[in-house]
Amino acid sequence: MSETGTKATSPIYWDPFNPEISANPYPIYRRLRDELPLYYNEAHDFYTVSRFSDVDSCLLDAKTFSSARSDILEFIKANVEVPPGMFIWLDPPAHTAYRNVVSRVFTPKRMNALEEQIRAYCARCLDPLVGSDRIDFIADLGAKLPGGVIGMLLGIPDEDRDLIRAKVDESLRTETGKPMDVSQGTYRGDGFEEYVEWRVKHPSNDLMTELLNVEFQDETGTKRKLTREEILVFVSVLAGAGNETTSRLIGWIGKVLSDHPDQRREIAKDPALIPAAIEEILRVEPPGTQVARYVTRDVEIHNQTVPGGSIMQCLVAAANRDDRRFPDGDRFDIHRKGAPAITFGRGIHSCIGSALARVEGRVALDELLKRFPDWTVDLENSQLSSSSTTRGWDRLAAAVPRGHRAAAGSNQAAAASATEQPAPSVSLGGETWQCTLQTPAGPQEMTVQLVREGETVTGRIDSPMGGEAISDGKALQDRLTWTMKVSKPMSIKLSFDVKVEGNQMTGKVKLGLFGSAALSGHRV
Amino acid sequence: MAKVTYVEIDGTEHELNVAPGLSVMQGAVANSVQGIIGECGGACSCATCHVYVDSAWLNRVGERSATEEALLEEVMDGQPNSRLSCQIKVTEDLDGLIVRLPAKQI
Repeated sequence: MSETGTKATSPIYWDPFNPEISANPYPIYRRLRDELPLYYNEAHDFYTVSRFSDVDSCLLDAKTFSSARSDILEFIKANVEVPPGMFIWLDPPAHTAYRNVVSRVFTPKRMNALEEQIRAYCARCLDPLVGSDRIDFIADLGAKLPGGVIGMLLGIPDEDRDLIRAKVDESLRTETGKPMDVSQGTYRGDGFEEYVEWRVKHPSNDLMTELLNVEFQDETGTKRKLTREEILVFVSVLAGAGNETTSRLIGWIGKVLSDHPDQRREIAKDPALIPAAIEEILRVEPPGTQVARYVTRDVEIHNQTVPGGSIMQCLVAAANRDDRRFPDGDRFDIHRKGAPAITFGRGIHSCIGSALARVEGRVALDELLKRFPDWTVDLENSQLSSSSTTRGWDRLAAAVPRGHRAAAGSNQAAAASATEQPAPSVSLGGETWQCTLQTPAGPQEMTVQLVREGETVTGRIDSPMGGEAISDGKALQDRLTWTMKVSKPMSIKLSFDVKVEGNQMTGKVKLGLFGSAALSGHRV
Repeated sequence: MAKVTYVEIDGTEHELNVAPGLSVMQGAVANSVQGIIGECGGACSCATCHVYVDSAWLNRVGERSATEEALLEEVMDGQPNSRLSCQIKVTEDLDGLIVRLPAKQI
């Protein structure tokens, strides 16, 4: 297809991988809508629609624009094998059967019922920051809250949630400017097996237990339970989808309201504006910027034929700013009236977690404003990234003027102590080491106390997360090994293997299912 | 065309002419009526097109399916006259239909 733009300007080029474009894609989106409402990208071999009405109709026509080969450009190209239970990548009737299983759980009422729990979790993330003059919307909240909430739903204990998010993110991250590696295995449910087995033996009232017990009619009409493999894929999809996109939403809350301080002040004054503000943030900066579909037949769009077998990228982020649907679409205005944007998609594959995302966004904004009514983002210390599925901040630093600390600082003492080195609650009288564990979720400080008697090592580890005794401790000359169980509902075993040289300690810690992390420390 | 009146929670009325064959949800979304989301496009799965059907019309808009019934237990402020508007097909017989919107869908 030739680019037949009528304006005497530069040719239009768009792909989601180019960091120069994704730094500010909106001028290109506008040109796509106005000049090339059906755009073909030769380099990556995909079509794109960008007007609201086109994106809307493509997503509603699930027969022509199929999800059966996934909704990610690279995966469709690679013709990846879709695992059973991967309901987001199925067409009806198989899709309908699976979706019905989860759609009863992700309803508006149930999600709203989580509000108080979500609020408490936000408070735990934000209270320790009260009094500081900088926050990072991602590291301090975006990276924690969504995983915590999906963990609440699935019954995954707090201490494993950050690790799970890190694992999912890592598998979805693309190198800047490059498409996703299709060998990335997140969607097969890797990493959750141990947890599902544990939950089989310890049923509770969470979604995981419900998934284990639910009976449904599959696409062949057979009434049955979900297989273990299907459950693993479900859990992986829900955990993955609930994490990255909501984290990105929290980043955009920070960025957009820093760019529009007047509207932020208005919201701080009148929290009743929060739901509308979240809708408007979701419109102007949707975390999921586009979804891909496999085109099953020749189809006519804007007087051109898109051949069957092509890939269609539905550019949600462009549709959301289409002046034809949203007057003056590039303008951010929390007082905008009308139906919401198409951020959560449309049709049978529309986001099943949209109610949850909205509740999380509203509560996060409310709790942020209570503690930090003013902020200014610091782009020097921030990092934007973009992939074939999402666009948003990996880091978003902001300066917050001091002086607002009293607003919600119910936890001042905890805030102060969390920033100091952890003080062991019990002194064992042996050797004491101050160590840093480089977990996928960031460095974790800990105080390690060890008592060596011959080849036997006993002791305990204290960190801001709490204290635990060690077990299986052995000393072989300068090499020490021990294990420690994190014993909350799900037991994750940490296996330490370190070498001591004088006053230095280095080594590795195996983190249960989640790979291993480097440990370094010094004697105190 | 059938006239359908959508009444927002603050009393704002939207009197729309909806083509027979479309759903009550589609009529609202096409005209950007605030208060009806309809994300799933009518698949009876997202429960974001909840409306209260005016009592005069309640027995003329058809029955709830089992799926709709299950979802209506999960909307905010469900009432006996609650319906998912994607499951009400507009016909000439429904000319004059009045539906009221809930305080919030989500």
